[in-house]
Amino acid sequence: MASADNGMNGDGSTSVERVGIFALSGATKRFGGVVAVDGVDFDLLEGEVHALVGENGAGKSTLMKMVGGVHAPDEGSVEVGGEAVSFASPGEAEGAGIAMIPQELDLFPELTIAENLFVGRKRPRTRWGGMDWKTMKEEARRSLGSMGVSLDVGATVKQLSTANRQIVAIARALLGDAKAVIMDEPTASLTEREAEKLFEVIADLTASGVGVVYISHRLEEVFRISDRITVMRDGRHIKTAPTSDLDSDELVRLMVGRELKELFSRSRHETGDIALETRGLTREGEFEDVDLTVRRGEVVGLAGLIGAGRTELAQTLFGLHKADAGEIRIDGEAVKSLSPQKAMEKGIFYVPEERKSQGLISPFPISANITLSILDRICRMGFVKRGRERETAERFAASLSIRGAGMDDPVSRLSGGNQQKVVLAKSLAREPSVLLLDEPTRGVDVGAKSEIYRLIDDLAGEGKAVLLISSELEEILSMSDRIVVMREGKVSGEFERSEADQEKIMAAATGTKAGQTAEVREERT
Amino acid sequence: MSGASTTTTATEHSDGPLKRFLTRPEAPALIFLAALVVVLSVVADGFLGASNFEGILSQVVVIGIIALAVNQVVLSGEIDISTGSMLGLCAMASGTVAVAGGGLLFTLLAGVAVGALAGAVNGFLVTVARIPAIIVTLGMLYALRGVLLLVTGGTWVTGVPAEARVLGIGSVFGVSLPIIVLFALFIVMELVNRHSDWGRNVLAVGGNRRAAMLAGLPSRRVRFWAFVLVGAAVGIASVIYIGRAGSVQTNAGTGLELQVIAAVVIGGTSIAGGRGSTLAALTGAVLIGVILNGMVLLGIPGVWQDAVLGALILLAVSTDVLRRKLLGDKA
Repeated sequence: MASADNGMNGDGSTSVERVGIFALSGATKRFGGVVAVDGVDFDLLEGEVHALVGENGAGKSTLMKMVGGVHAPDEGSVEVGGEAVSFASPGEAEGAGIAMIPQELDLFPELTIAENLFVGRKRPRTRWGGMDWKTMKEEARRSLGSMGVSLDVGATVKQLSTANRQIVAIARALLGDAKAVIMDEPTASLTEREAEKLFEVIADLTASGVGVVYISHRLEEVFRISDRITVMRDGRHIKTAPTSDLDSDELVRLMVGRELKELFSRSRHETGDIALETRGLTREGEFEDVDLTVRRGEVVGLAGLIGAGRTELAQTLFGLHKADAGEIRIDGEAVKSLSPQKAMEKGIFYVPEERKSQGLISPFPISANITLSILDRICRMGFVKRGRERETAERFAASLSIRGAGMDDPVSRLSGGNQQKVVLAKSLAREPSVLLLDEPTRGVDVGAKSEIYRLIDDLAGEGKAVLLISSELEEILSMSDRIVVMREGKVSGEFERSEADQEKIMAAATGTKAGQTAEVREERT
Repeated sequence: MSGASTTTTATEHSDGPLKRFLTRPEAPALIFLAALVVVLSVVADGFLGASNFEGILSQVVVIGIIALAVNQVVLSGEIDISTGSMLGLCAMASGTVAVAGGGLLFTLLAGVAVGALAGAVNGFLVTVARIPAIIVTLGMLYALRGVLLLVTGGTWVTGVPAEARVLGIGSVFGVSLPIIVLFALFIVMELVNRHSDWGRNVLAVGGNRRAAMLAGLPSRRVRFWAFVLVGAAVGIASVIYIGRAGSVQTNAGTGLELQVIAAVVIGGTSIAGGRGSTLAALTGAVLIGVILNGMVLLGIPGVWQDAVLGALILLAVSTDVLRRKLLGDKA
């Protein structure tokens, strides 16, 4: 929950009168017949963190894109510094001091940090007309330094961790003298410690008068760093209030429009035989000497920082990569040379973390996405039996409450949470006995999250073995029977549900003693 | 409850038949084709008529058959530009067998076998050696022509006997046989594309290869067989080719590969893979035929041919982009 060291929370009541940076009034945006944003007022003051929350599809990103010059409002107005504006492009908005940092960072992986910072800007030139790399690097260093970060500005962005990419994206915004920075789910792919670093950067920004719009699903963060909160639901403005006037339960109720008694659901189950076991599993440079057991009916949480080797381990268990040493046992039987097809035959299924790039075939309708993994089962003589396909897809869509579009509509019409349910439906259709879930609730709204948790609990209840990879500590702590922590490719801790707490897990994940704050480590490449 | 909500939202979001048609990949090409047929019927003497239509179709049979197969390769996210030389080699093989008295069956087998073998080499280099398809098939475009020249020493195959020319010049119930073959293959490919396991896998692999792999689909095998299919289709087309020509020159099929790609793209199959249809490939091929025929009938000089085809490709790609924008299709 919201941590006690609430040092950055600006105290709204005693602060001096702040100047407005931008304001939207009565902003409305329609896409075809769908009203995405319906008459919403929103404003940002200097030096504040204004959190924008709501379920997926509530219209948060669309609202901000109207300030950021991506969309023009169909109705209503945008004012910057008290003057009405209409931006034709994100470039114009940036020129007016409004920088957007989208969820999927728009950086150029093959270019260096310095080059990335100057993309789309007037680059300094030398006397001879060439690029003035020296000045560019200096400015890049200065810009990163102003956030208290030191990175090698000559390093290419692809070498950076997600957290540092985020910081580069912010630096790029600041280089353009941004007065307002809009962050869309900045911590979605960060671990807690990386997020801490980001919060420090945000504190520095607001201290220098920059306003920050903070879109996030992580309510604890919102409570910790924001001064005001605006809630949106179904494209409409629900409430704007100082953070100190709201509490977590009320916020969730405002977001989902109904009382949400329990986000997490986990009932006790008897665990059975060992379904999946690894002994000394090693893959050079990724993970080393991993011993892991998952029993039937058990949820094992796999915690750790990004880059700790969790995803690589899970993908190796699914046969996507070859292990260099050690063995994998499924139902007590050692398996060699695993491939995804073979893993599926053995009842293992991996649900990837990246929904768009790894989980869904976006031109396909919802039904075909669900049945993708079981095509061989619904075929006769190489031809798909349409009746079987439809029946299967509808059964899973119903049991996972996939809502928002028809079975024959493209899967891209669904909201993020429902898309994630399609990815899960695809894996469940295969009736696996071991499920490897990689960040199953990332970027998913509260309502869908709670449904996914219930599903995980049901699956364990049915006797399936679940390996849950998650960077959200609360999720790991609430859903797991047992927690395994990885650090730099090795298992660094293992806890029973009863003995685990946030501090112990973080300590094992970062290699520090419990309670000790870790210094941000040097960039690993 | 959730089942009910799925159905209600389904009706809410379901599109009308017109929008459904417009979202089909081949819709712009079909509309353009229809408009062109109407215009040409009015302005070009001799356009409207069964014999001219038959002539147009006969002209595009070879391109059409190959396009139906290349369409699958493009749908799987790959490309094949080796079909021109492949046709030359297949025609040389089937022609030689025909001249030696192989009859229709062995002529056909020779063409298909040589084509499938060349396609398998393409498929192997792309999926196992993991060389980009554009490089592999460009290399094969030159290599196969080179093999053809080395083997024949530049001599022609002439005097293909009548029994082996049936597929090229025969007719059944007054309909020319090559056209029947084209439509038969179209129906087969349509069934395979829409209803078979493999056809679905092709679309999945082309739509998102990573996701397809994570769903356990055999991405390499799927793409390998698409390349082999192209070879087999080129083999069949080669028999029609020698049937029509009665002889094979060493430059047979030169430039064909790009016409085939043009047919696929003009028809509406996305060059990025994952999106398109069998009808798109056929429509594209027919459209090319109609345009070339119309130009002849209108007395437009042949030198305009390439310019018009080029413009058409650009127009096709731009209308597709525009259409998807208008329909709000994010896929």
